[in-house]
Amino acid sequence: MSGLVAQPGAGAHTGIGRIFERFPFLPAFVILIALLVLNGLFEPNSLSFGALTGLVSTYLALMLLAVAQTYVVYAADIDLSVGAILSLVNVSIIVLMQLMGGSALSVLVACFAGIGIGLACGIFNGIIVAGLRLQPIVATFATSIIFTGIALYIMPVSGIPAPSVYWRTYGGRLFDVPFVIYLAVAVAVILYVIARTRLITQLLAVGDNQQSAYQSGLPVTMTRIRGYALCGVFAALAALCITGDTASGDPLVGGAMTLNSVAAVVLGGTALSGGVGSVAGSVIGALIIGLVNSLVFFVGTPSEWQNLVQGLAILVALTVGILVSRRAGQ
Amino acid sequence: MAKLQVRGARKAYGATIALKRGDMVLESGEVHVLIGSNGSGKSTLCKIISGSVRPDAGEVIIDGRPVTVTGPQMARELGIGIFYQELSLAAHRTVAENISLARLPANAGVFVDHAAVGATAERYMAPFADVLGDGFAADTPVVKLRADQRQLVEIMKTLATEAPVLIFDEPTSALDSAQVERFFDVLRKLRGEGRSIIFISHRMDEIFAIGDRVTIMRDGETVTTMALSDADHDMVIRAMVGGQEALIATGNADDEGTRRTGKTILSVQNISGPGFSEISFSVAAGEIVGFGGLHGQGQSSVLRALFGASRRQAGTITLNGTPYTATAPRAAIRQGMAYISGDRGHDGVITDRPILENVTPVHFLRNRLTFAFPGRLRAAVLPALQALRTKYATLSHPISSLSGGNQQKIVIARWLTDPPQVLLLDDPTKGIDLATKTELFALIRELAEKGMAIILYSSEDSELLTNADRILVFSGGAIARELTGADRTRYNLYHAAYEAA
Repeated sequence: MSGLVAQPGAGAHTGIGRIFERFPFLPAFVILIALLVLNGLFEPNSLSFGALTGLVSTYLALMLLAVAQTYVVYAADIDLSVGAILSLVNVSIIVLMQLMGGSALSVLVACFAGIGIGLACGIFNGIIVAGLRLQPIVATFATSIIFTGIALYIMPVSGIPAPSVYWRTYGGRLFDVPFVIYLAVAVAVILYVIARTRLITQLLAVGDNQQSAYQSGLPVTMTRIRGYALCGVFAALAALCITGDTASGDPLVGGAMTLNSVAAVVLGGTALSGGVGSVAGSVIGALIIGLVNSLVFFVGTPSEWQNLVQGLAILVALTVGILVSRRAGQ
Repeated sequence: MAKLQVRGARKAYGATIALKRGDMVLESGEVHVLIGSNGSGKSTLCKIISGSVRPDAGEVIIDGRPVTVTGPQMARELGIGIFYQELSLAAHRTVAENISLARLPANAGVFVDHAAVGATAERYMAPFADVLGDGFAADTPVVKLRADQRQLVEIMKTLATEAPVLIFDEPTSALDSAQVERFFDVLRKLRGEGRSIIFISHRMDEIFAIGDRVTIMRDGETVTTMALSDADHDMVIRAMVGGQEALIATGNADDEGTRRTGKTILSVQNISGPGFSEISFSVAAGEIVGFGGLHGQGQSSVLRALFGASRRQAGTITLNGTPYTATAPRAAIRQGMAYISGDRGHDGVITDRPILENVTPVHFLRNRLTFAFPGRLRAAVLPALQALRTKYATLSHPISSLSGGNQQKIVIARWLTDPPQVLLLDDPTKGIDLATKTELFALIRELAEKGMAIILYSSEDSELLTNADRILVFSGGAIARELTGADRTRYNLYHAAYEAA
C-alpha cells in the first residue's frame, strides 16, 4: 500500500533525477560538450591543446568573475559592480607595478594589493547592501559607478602596459606546461576548499529564506557582508587574470563583463532567487559564453551580425538548460 | 525560583493593542500550555520572550535576572529555543543541515564537519524513527518532504538547540497521532530532565495529554493559570471565551445521518493521479462529505486534482450532470469550484497586498472584470466579510496586519462573494483558534444548507466527526472505508485509518 502514498515534490526520485539533484550543473555541462563538438566541426584546430589553453587563458577572468557573482547570488543578492571592481583592480595594479619599477617583487606586492582592493570594495558593497539594507541591484549599480570613477581617476586613459615579467609569466610555460593550467588547477582546488566552508552553507541558507535564517539565529547581515567580501576577492583575482591576458590597464575593461558573469551564473544552474547552485556550474557557464563567441566567429558570421547571433545562441543555451533540468525533475 | 517569568508585558502597534498585560511564570521541569483565541496575545507574548518583538512595558526574567532579549541570536544565548509555527527551514538544505543550521559544527572553525552534522541529525531523528514516513533521511533536502515531515524537522531543530527553555508554537498542526505520540514521549523525557517547555496548541486532547499547567489568555490579557489535573475541557474553554458561551457549540453534523440532501452535484468515477488511485464518490447538494485518515494518504491530492491544481490521469468527473474537465484552477473556478487550503501562506493569502486585493481575485475572474473600481469592489465584498464577522481596520491595510484566523476568513470571503457550487476544504482550520473554528463550521453548515456541496478534509478527527455527514477514510491513496450515520465514531475512524496502513 505504501507505494501509493502521496509524496508531493518527491517526483525526482528516479535515477536520472537523483543525478541532476546532486549535480545541478549537468545540463550546462551537456551544452558545453555540444559547443565543443560544434567548434570542432567548424574549426578542427579549435580542439587542439594550444587552442583550448588559449580559451582558458582568455576566459579565466570571466570564470572567476562568475564565481564571484555566484557567492552573492547564493544569498539571493546580486553584485552589479563586479566588472567595475575588476577594472579598478586592473588599473590599480598596473599603476602600482609601474611606480615600483616593474620588478618581480613589485608584481607580487601589487597582486596582493589588488586583492586587498577587491576585498575592500566587496566589504563596502556588503555594508551598503546588507548593513544599510539597500536594494542590491540599485545599490551595487551605484557603487559600480563609484568604482569606475575611482578607476578613471587612477588611469584616465587606457593603454599603460603591464611589466613584461607579468604577462610573460601569465602567457608562458613552466616545466613545459602552460602557466594558466597551473592557475586553473589552483582555482579548482581553492573552489573545492571554499565549497566546504561553513560560510557557504550559511550563504545558501540565507538565500533560501532570509527570515528563516534570521529566526534560526544565523548572523544574516554578517553572512551577507562576508558573501560580498568573498565576491570582491574573486573579482580581484579575475582582474589579475585579465591583466595577464590583455597586458595593459583599461579603466573600463570590466564594464561589459558584469552581465556576462550574471549570465554565466544562470547558465550554470544557479537560481537568482538564492539557495541553490554551484560554482562549478558558473565556471561552465562562463566557458559556454566563451565557446558561443568563438563558434560565432568560426561559423563565419559577418561581423555586423555577430552580436545578434551571440545573443540568440545564449538564449538557446538557457532554454536547453531549463528544458533538460525540467525533464529530469519530472 | 521560577525558570522564566514575564511580568506586565505590553505591546501596542499604533492604535491596536496586541498585548495589554501579559504575565506568566514558567517553572523548571514543566510543560506549560499557553492557550487563547487568535488575537488574544499569546503569539505576541511568545515573540517577546523570543526577542522578535520588543515590549513597550514589562519585563522578562530568566533565573531571577531581568533580561532584554534583542533577537533570535540573543534568545539562543539566553537558553531559549523556539519552534516557529510557520517553520524556519531552508528548503534546499538537507534535513541534517537544517537541524544543525544555527550552530554548524566545524573543523578548525571554518570547514563544515559533515560527520558531526550527520551524527547530530541521527541522534534527533532516532526518537521518531518509526514515524518519519517514506523518503525521510538525514541527507534529504527539506523541499522533498511532506508538510508533516517538515514539521518534524522543525521539531528536531528546536530540540537540537538543547536550550533549557523550549517554546513550541503549534508544533503538531500537521502531524498524525502516531507522530504526536512520539513527540510527546520526547517532551516527557525533557520534562524529567528539568527543562521548561511552553506548548501552544488548539487541540484540547493534546493539551490535556501533555500539559502540567495552563495559562489562558483572552483579549490581550492573562486571565488565569491553573493546573491541568484540576481542570476539564469545559473549564478551559469557558475561561478562553469568557462570556460568549454560545460559541461552545458541540457538533452540528446530523446525528442520525439521515439529513435530507438534494440532487447529486459532484460525481467522481475512478479517478487516479499522483498519490491516489481509483477514487469514486459523489457529493449531493447540502451535504458535507469528510475525508479522513492518517496524513498524506491522498486526501489533499484528490482535492487539488478536483480543483485542477494538479494533474489527474484517469477517470471521469461530472458536475451537475455535465462532464467536468478543468485542468487548471482558472477553469475550475469558472465552473463553480472553490478550494480553501489550511496552508494560507502558500495557497491562500497574497502576502503584503491589501485586504481588498485579497478578497477580490475570484470575483474578478468569475465576472471577467477588466477594471478595478475600489468603490464598487468594496460594496461587492462587504456582505461576505460581514457574514464572517471579519475583524480588520480598513480594506486597504495589508493582509499581514490580521491574525491567522482573520486571514483565513478573508480567504474564505473571497469565495463567498460569488458563491461556488462545490467547496473543497483542505484542512481549512490549521492554526485557527477554537472560537473562530466553531464560527467557521457553523458557516460551512449554513452554506451546505443553502445547497452547496462540500468536501472537508481535516487532520483533526473531532472536526470530521462533528461536522461531516459522511466520512471517507483514506489509506494509501484509496478510500478504505465509508462511515455513515451511527458508524461515525472515533473508534471506527481510527480503526479504518490504521487497519490498512
